[in-house]
Amino acid sequence: MLDREYFENLGEKGINFFTTIYEIFILFIESLAAIPKIWFYRRQLVEQLYNFSAKTLPIAAIISIFVGLGSTVQGTYQSSGLIPRYVTVNVIFKSTVIELSPVILALVLAGKLGASLAAEIGSMRISEQIEALETMSLDPVGFLVMPRVIAGLVMLPVITIFANFLAIFSSFFVSTAISQWVTAHEFVNGLKMDYKSFEIIFGCIIKPAVYGFFISLIGSYFGLKTKGGAKGVGESSTLAVVVSAIMIVIFDYYLGELLL
Amino acid sequence: MIKVRGLKKRFEDKEVLKGIDIDIFDNETIVILGPSGQGKTVMIKSMIRLMEPDAGEIYFDDENIREYNKRELENFRKKIAYVFQNSALFDFLDVRENLALFLRMHKRMQEEEIENKIIEALSFVGLTKDVLDKYPEELSGGMKKRVAIARAMIKEPKYIFYDEPTTGLDKKNAELVSNLIKVLKEKISTTSIIVTHDIELMENVSDRVALLKDGKVFFVGKKEEISDETLEYLYSIGDTYEI
Repeated sequence: MLDREYFENLGEKGINFFTTIYEIFILFIESLAAIPKIWFYRRQLVEQLYNFSAKTLPIAAIISIFVGLGSTVQGTYQSSGLIPRYVTVNVIFKSTVIELSPVILALVLAGKLGASLAAEIGSMRISEQIEALETMSLDPVGFLVMPRVIAGLVMLPVITIFANFLAIFSSFFVSTAISQWVTAHEFVNGLKMDYKSFEIIFGCIIKPAVYGFFISLIGSYFGLKTKGGAKGVGESSTLAVVVSAIMIVIFDYYLGELLL
Repeated sequence: MIKVRGLKKRFEDKEVLKGIDIDIFDNETIVILGPSGQGKTVMIKSMIRLMEPDAGEIYFDDENIREYNKRELENFRKKIAYVFQNSALFDFLDVRENLALFLRMHKRMQEEEIENKIIEALSFVGLTKDVLDKYPEELSGGMKKRVAIARAMIKEPKYIFYDEPTTGLDKKNAELVSNLIKVLKEKISTTSIIVTHDIELMENVSDRVALLKDGKVFFVGKKEEISDETLEYLYSIGDTYEI
């Protein structure tokens, strides 16, 4: 039988959920408010732009190459003999650029960047470094969060463009040079077929920018909320990854529904 | 001058500060003593709004900083420095950048000037240029504390807050830090507010002493004025002190 305690716990969890949403929104507003000081925090911004690119490019390269290879194998297996080969290329191209590459990359980077952001800021929180920033007349949101959010917003699209290029190139390579199920000419025709530049912008810029924004904002939020010691840092990292991943798949659906 | 009136702070069901009243005069070194868990750190963090107090007024030079908005608070903090119990050096920056951060962000200084200031501050705390490129994790506890004092000193603050400056240090380093606090006060004419449970430190550096008990200040005066009763209290909690 459901007792009073059950409903109290349920109510408390509900309140915590909405409080978290509200606090993330407030952090977003505070980050926006810190943008006019972007020149003041330019060093931190440049550092984060570098971190977001240098730390993620190798992993992005590996993932994108194998996404390209995997989608090609699946595409040819499922459509072999059913549709013209250049149409298969087109399906592989669009599914890779619009869906697979940005989403898989974002989920992996949510694990890598989101966790490291939350752990980095969380360690600073528990070792009083964030308070030390405040005593130096520095705004922790301006110093730590705003540069990371901008770096996520800017660099995820850059990384995704790079990743998409590698994915398509690997698909081209395996299709034309290894399995040779299609000629280079047919492959290029497949890429050109029903070409819509908005789809490329959607898959390479809009989606990754939204994902990058969520990964940085949510990672920073859970980092700032860290309590306790090493256990608290671990919990913050886990929460940052889980919540970022959930936001990525939710927004994957809604962005497609709204914009395509 | 700092004037604190009716400062209160509660954490969930525990009221840590129950109405702190204290005056701190310019250029004095006041040591706030009390056993662990009496809210010493909460008190000084609340005094500069690193923690938001629940009630009370805090005047720095006749201005109530509880009325400050975010920007005013940032400006106010330019004239204070805080040496944290665990030093709180930025672990993503080397010693040079830890010391340079405030100057780079708030002063329009040439790189050469910044470097000179850093070296001056380091030599004041008895460290050499060799540590400039080291990261906090490569420093011993005593060195971290000295770098933290150099980082505070570089701001040339009007008020310096020290949170348990000798905790975790061996006797030699504790003496060194104690001397640094004294010399720094003379060098930059600063007001020093020290929370500690180290009676030896209190004896070495204090102009006045404030004792905390049950979330309130129950004695403020010169160390010579501490009564027998107060001493009794001190000794009754002596096991919590590091002497």
